[in-house]
Formats: sequence, structure tokens, C-alpha cells
Amino acid sequence: MKNRPAIVAVGRTRFGEHYGKEPEKLIEKAWLAASNECDIERKDLEACYLSDCFLPITNKLGLEEGFLSELTELHVPMEVTRSVNAALLAACHAIQAGAYSTVLVGGIEKMTDRWDKIRDDLMLLDDPWSYYAGGTPETNHELMLRAYIKKYGIKGENLDKLNVALAQVSVKNHANATKNEYAQFQRKITVDQVLSARKAAQKPLGLYDFAPISDGASALILTNETLAKKTNAQPVYVLGCSSATDYLNFPARDDLTHFTATKLATKNALKMAGITPWDLQIVEVYDQSTVMEMVSLEDLGFCEPGTAWKSINESCQDYQGYYEINGGQLFVNMNGGLKADGNPLGATGGAQLFEIFKQLRGEAGERQVKNGQASPQFGCALELEGFGTKAYVSILGRE
Amino acid sequence: MSSEPIERRVSYLGDRLKASRCRICGKEYFEARDYCGNCGRKSFGKMVSIDLFYDKGKLELCTLVKEPTNKFMKLGSYVYGIVSFHNGQIRVPGRLTDQIVHDGDAVDFSRFEGRDVIPRFRRRYSVGKSEVVPTISLAFTLADEYYPHQEYRVVEPSKEYDVPGIVGYGVYASRFRIREGNFERSVPFIDEDAVTAAVEAGKLALIHSGVDSSLVGKVYVGSESNPYAVKPIASKVAQVLKLGEEDEDVQGVDAVDTEFACKAASSMFKDAVSLVNYSKSGVNYAMVIGTDNSQAAPRGCPGGELDLFVGYGGSAFIFGKYDVIAEIEGWYSCTSDTPDFWRRDGELFPMHGGRFTGDPAYFKHIKKATTKLMEKLNLQASDVDYFVTHQPNPQFPVKVAKQLGFKDEQYAASLQINKFGNTYSGCSPIGLAALLDIAKPEERVLITSYGSGAGSDAYLLRTTNQLVDKRQRQKINVKFQAENPFVKYVDYTTYRRLKLGM
Repeated sequence: MKNRPAIVAVGRTRFGEHYGKEPEKLIEKAWLAASNECDIERKDLEACYLSDCFLPITNKLGLEEGFLSELTELHVPMEVTRSVNAALLAACHAIQAGAYSTVLVGGIEKMTDRWDKIRDDLMLLDDPWSYYAGGTPETNHELMLRAYIKKYGIKGENLDKLNVALAQVSVKNHANATKNEYAQFQRKITVDQVLSARKAAQKPLGLYDFAPISDGASALILTNETLAKKTNAQPVYVLGCSSATDYLNFPARDDLTHFTATKLATKNALKMAGITPWDLQIVEVYDQSTVMEMVSLEDLGFCEPGTAWKSINESCQDYQGYYEINGGQLFVNMNGGLKADGNPLGATGGAQLFEIFKQLRGEAGERQVKNGQASPQFGCALELEGFGTKAYVSILGRE
Repeated sequence: MSSEPIERRVSYLGDRLKASRCRICGKEYFEARDYCGNCGRKSFGKMVSIDLFYDKGKLELCTLVKEPTNKFMKLGSYVYGIVSFHNGQIRVPGRLTDQIVHDGDAVDFSRFEGRDVIPRFRRRYSVGKSEVVPTISLAFTLADEYYPHQEYRVVEPSKEYDVPGIVGYGVYASRFRIREGNFERSVPFIDEDAVTAAVEAGKLALIHSGVDSSLVGKVYVGSESNPYAVKPIASKVAQVLKLGEEDEDVQGVDAVDTEFACKAASSMFKDAVSLVNYSKSGVNYAMVIGTDNSQAAPRGCPGGELDLFVGYGGSAFIFGKYDVIAEIEGWYSCTSDTPDFWRRDGELFPMHGGRFTGDPAYFKHIKKATTKLMEKLNLQASDVDYFVTHQPNPQFPVKVAKQLGFKDEQYAASLQINKFGNTYSGCSPIGLAALLDIAKPEERVLITSYGSGAGSDAYLLRTTNQLVDKRQRQKINVKFQAENPFVKYVDYTTYRRLKLGM
């Protein structure tokens, strides 16, 4: 990527249930945290890219840009997207084009303000025909799992292993979240808990297989390479950033076992960054369900289709903090993932980028992963909108 | 709050399951499309409209929904999945309906996956009382259970008759029943109502008659349980069954609802035959539907006595001059203003006049219409082969038949009250259908309906040779539904809940 955009600071709130807080309080907190980190003032911002998935529905806020303008007392150009990685992509394009040198990328969501209707909204936004037919936010994940099991002929002992592997995904993410002060759930769970929740639900997936609904905000400051080098000791560069799109209606898609959008976005992002999947040590995948984490490992190119559950299962027998895939170490969802860190849709991507930024800079504290003696050099965030209707892949790297 | 334009578009596509096929490459799509993704620009104008309404699909994958979204809450738990048509060319989301999944039931998905399913026209989900009732055909039932798959084949007519009459008919009763003693009644599933039963009956009548739906120029729907005070059921029937020539999204058919308690439909038989017999009407076929989710207050409440007998179902008869199975030889109607049974606007349940619903109402009008018709046609009771009348309870029809001089073998086969309950507007027509299911050619059937309020219509029908030929086209006949091994029995509480609907 030419004119590499650089992330110079990140900030976020804890994800969870912020009943008493207005949306503006959350984004303010995230922005302040980022701004303090890099000594960039509000007035230095030349543009803002804000993401929220459905603030206009949950909080009856129509023109979110105006809301941000009031908050920052700025009149610079502002645009709204539905996910942080989408905002990042737009911001990167603007910086590369030389339009701006310093921009704010933020994300916010307040899902609990509409807890009573949120599942209808989510499903209707994801896939209206499936909603009309009686689908819920969970059903597509379960149908994808059934399709996966059938396509790869997974039976008997292997099926048990796959089911345990999915439970281990959740257990692993909960364990990671105990080291993350911002995570929604900071407690460990066991494989038995995951399995018995499925048994109670009489369904392929249960309570512990799904990410929660959450409130939260995240922010990052993006500058051009020159400015970043001047003002920041350890800028993290956006090396590749790409997206792809698939049908709204899940049953109508060609492939029911994988996300075509992820595969396409990954291919482009890796090409831009000039690296292979094996150069990545840390990835934050979009685990709205445990199935999504499993399938994403295949879509991102780490595992052959139909095999990720084996790698997960083997790695988690004696979990060392990473998945062992083809002899390599892959750190996945070190912040706890959507499952345990939380999933305030429009802010979630910010938490993923936050984690990679911190990990690459060696500032992740207890969660810090190592690449030999050093902190990792490359990391990747995969964010989805809808049920894989859109996929965003952002590859970050340090010098 | 659903918006009317969105509601109209979703219903237009979803009720009929409209799809399209590219004439260049053959690719198929759910929903109407103007061009094909494979062929691009050159496919404009080359997309043909198809629909999956009479088709058979396959349940590819499924899971259980135990915590539905708000609008599906009243369904409780249900099986939901992906249904494919045409060897997987089209895949749609769908819900299995007509299944009650109890809490704690173990659901084995592999038992359902791979099985054939049939799209069924049902209510889509719950809405507020003042809103448009949303419908869809993305509800499916298993083809090897209560409702088998039947193709709709249009048959070129072979013979024109001088006397118009019935050319085909269909009866629909739901899969669910309540059984009290030896008495069984049909109970709607929670997503069924008078509208869905009307469409089902009409669909079965089209299949039975082989009539091209675009030649049906008039449809009457008689009901006293229309979910709307203002808005016809007939318009829904016309659109879903594609009656009359379709031009853009408008059907070239006259569709109208009628109301006269339990004779709302049978009253229109003579209007339908008159219409098809009038050469300048341009109407080749007219359809008459009687449908009701018969209303009754719960037992113990005023009007609750009706709750012992009410059923759910619909019947549809197609009238015309071609390939007639029963000619209409004559009729007689009578009316008096007798308020023996009524429901005031805005009230949920009807009231009735107790013992005064008998002699001065039911018996008086049925006897009057029947004897007048027999006098007019110079007939004795022994001159007809079958007699059928309205069946509000098991005793009345037997008593009135005897009083009119009919013998047991003339009316016994018509008594469907013990199987389906009183289906109000659908009631005497279902009795007629049961007779037509078994009658031989050249037999005479006398039907006398009764509608509270009050009035009766008596008709004399003479069956033709074609009655027997057409019979094999209909698997889902009255007996099939009455004695179906897949019928599910529910208790009184479930019956009341299902009847109330979504």
C-alpha cells in the first residue's frame, strides 16, 4: 500500500450493559482515551468517520454526523458507516488520496436501549425473507453448521469432536477475556457448560455459542505515514484493507458452508499487504457464533475447508494460548472475541483493531503474545456485517 | 407497524412464491427479476415468470427455533430451515407448519432433512389488531403426512353442457382436531384463519376441475369470520390463486365477499350459474367459496353453547358450462327477518336465540325452501338420491331430513358435522362435497342450506358421467381428510389458543 495510513492511537470503553449512559457519553470516553494517548487534539482532526449499525433505530438518532459535530464542536467532513472496519477503509482511502492527514475513526452502538425488540431488528436487517419465514438471529448459524456437517460428511466420533471443538472456541474466548479489563464477560466457562446449554436448548448451538448484545464505543486516530513518523514512536500501519459483498438472503447463496465475502476480501487485503496468511501471528475474527470462528479460520486461508475443527480440537486438548495450525502458532481473538469481549455491532471492529494495535506495540499486558522475543509484526481483523453479507479484512503491521 | 406498500410487495411475491427463470441460461431465482446475473444485459426481456405455489420442495437443512423473534412468539417452538426447489436451483427459507413442538420434545433434525415439503399459504406473523394481516407461503408441510402433493394440471374442456353446473370442487379442513366423545371437530393451526382456508379450498377446487385459473371471471367468498370488518377475503383469493387474466399485478376478475351467516356461500351458487349462463357476461367460470373459523365464546360465557359444535374449514365450488359434473336443475330461496343468531360489529363472538333457533328459524326455513322446490319441480322425497342440509349440531339435520320424508340412506353420507364440526359458511357445501365424492352419474342431489337471520336456499343437482372421471384428480377429498391417519388431536385449552390465532 502506498502512502501507508497509520494508526497512532486507540481507545475504547468496556463493552456490556451501559443502562445509564447515553450514546454520546460512550463515544466521548473512547475518543478521550485515544486522544490522550497520542496528544492529538480535537481541533487537529480534519475529518471523522463514525460507524454504527443501527443507532437510528435503537436510539432514534437520524443524522449521527450532527450528533458527533455537537459532541466535538467540529464542522469538518463526517461520514457514517455500519462498521468500524468500513469506516477505516473509507478513512484509509481519503488519507491515501491526500485529502486529509489526520482523521478520527470511531464506532458506537447502544443495543440494550432496545433490548425488547433487538432480535427482530437484527434479523430483519440481516435477511428479511428469512425473518418473514420465521428465522431468528441464531438460525442461520445453526443451518450453516448443519450444512458444514453434511458437506464434509462429519459423523460419529468426528461429529462429537467437532461439537467439542466449537465449545472449546467459546471456552477459549472466555478465558482470554478474563485478562481484558474492557471485556463484557470476565469469567471462565467450561466445555460442559457449553454442551449442557445446547442440550437444554435441544439445538445444535446454545447460549454459550453466541455473542451477546452489548453497548460500547471505540475510537482510533489515523494519520498519514509522514505525520505518524513525526509524532509517534510506534505507529501501526494499515497495510491492507479490503471488503466484499454477498447476498442478503442466506439460503440463496451458492455456498452455505462458508462466507464468500470473507474469502474475496482476504485475498485482496493480503495482496495489498504483500504477505501470506502465514505471516500473520494474530487475528481477530468475527465470532458472532462459535461456528463463525471455525468457518472464518478456513475462509481466511489458515485451514483447508472442512478441517478447522480438527485444528481447534487438537490445539485445545492442552491449550497454550494459540491454535496450532500446520505447525505454526496462530493467536485468535485474544481480547475474548465477540463472544466474551462483547458485540456492540458498530463499535466491535474498533475493539478488534484496538487489540491488534496493542499486541503489535507490545502493550497488551497480560494478554501480550510473543513472536519469538518480539511482539507480533502482522495482525488481521475480520469484521462481518449481517450474516456475512459484507466482509471487511484489515491487515495491520509495524516496522 | 408494517407499511402498506412493503406489505403489498412481500405478499405479492411471497403468497404465490413468485420466481423467475432466464430463458438464455436457465438459471432460476426466487422473486421476480428483470434480468439474469449470469447473462447480464442481454437477458433483459428474456426472464420468464414462474411460481412455486403448486410445486414440491425439499427440506435441505433444519434447526429448531425455541425463542422466536417477537412477531413469531405465539407459534412457540417450531422447525425452521432451508427448502430447495428444482434440484437446488432455488433455495428459500421456510418454517415447518402444522407441527406442535412441545417443550422438552427431542427434535431429530435428520428425521426432517431430505423430505419433500409443500408450500402452504398461511399467516406470516402476529401484528397489532388494527394492522394489515401479513401472509406468506414460506410455511411448509411434509408431503408424506396430512397433505400430499398434487399437481395442478389445466385440462382442455371436452364437452359443453346446455345446463350449467358444478365443474369442480375442493374441501379443506385443517390437520388438527378436538375429540369429545365420538364427536370430532376441525381446529385451525395457529397460523390459519378464514382467509387461508378459502385459498386452500379454492386451490383444491382448481386442481379438481382442471380449469385454467385465468378463465375464472368471478369469485364469491362467503364468511362470517373474516379477520377484517372491511376488506374482502375474495381479493386475497383472487390474487393468490391468480384468478382471471393477470395484467401487471392486477387480476382480471370480479371478487366479492358475501355474508348471510351459514348460507353466505350457498346463496351464491345460483348467482354463479346464472352468470356463466349469460352469454354476454364473458365469465367462463365462477368460483364460490364458503370459509369459516367458526366463532364461539368460551364455554361458560354467554354464547358459549356454540363452543360445543364449531369447526374450521372451507369449501370451494367452480361453476361453468364445460365438463360439468353436476347440473343445477333448479332452486328456491326464502327469507324472513328472524334474529336467531347474530354478532354485533366489534364483538368477538356471536350470540344466539336459544330454543328459538330451532322451530321458528332452522326448521321453518329449511322445510319451506325444500318443499317449495320439490313442488316447483314436481318431486317427491323418494325421487332424489341424496339430501344434504345445514348441520349446526348432530341432531338438527337428521330431524329435519326425517320431517321432510327423507330416509337415512339419503342423508347419512352428507353428515360431516361429526368429523369437522359446524364450519358455518363451509358447512352444507362440505356435506354436498361428501355426497359428490361418492355419487354415481345421473343421480339427483338436493341441498338446502340455512343461514341465520334467516333464510334457506334449496338446489336440485343432477350428476353427470364426468363426475366419476374427475374424481381421481382429487386425493385430498372429504373422506381423506376425515379419516386421515396424520390427524393430530388437541385438548380444549390448545383448541381455544389455536382458534384465536397469531
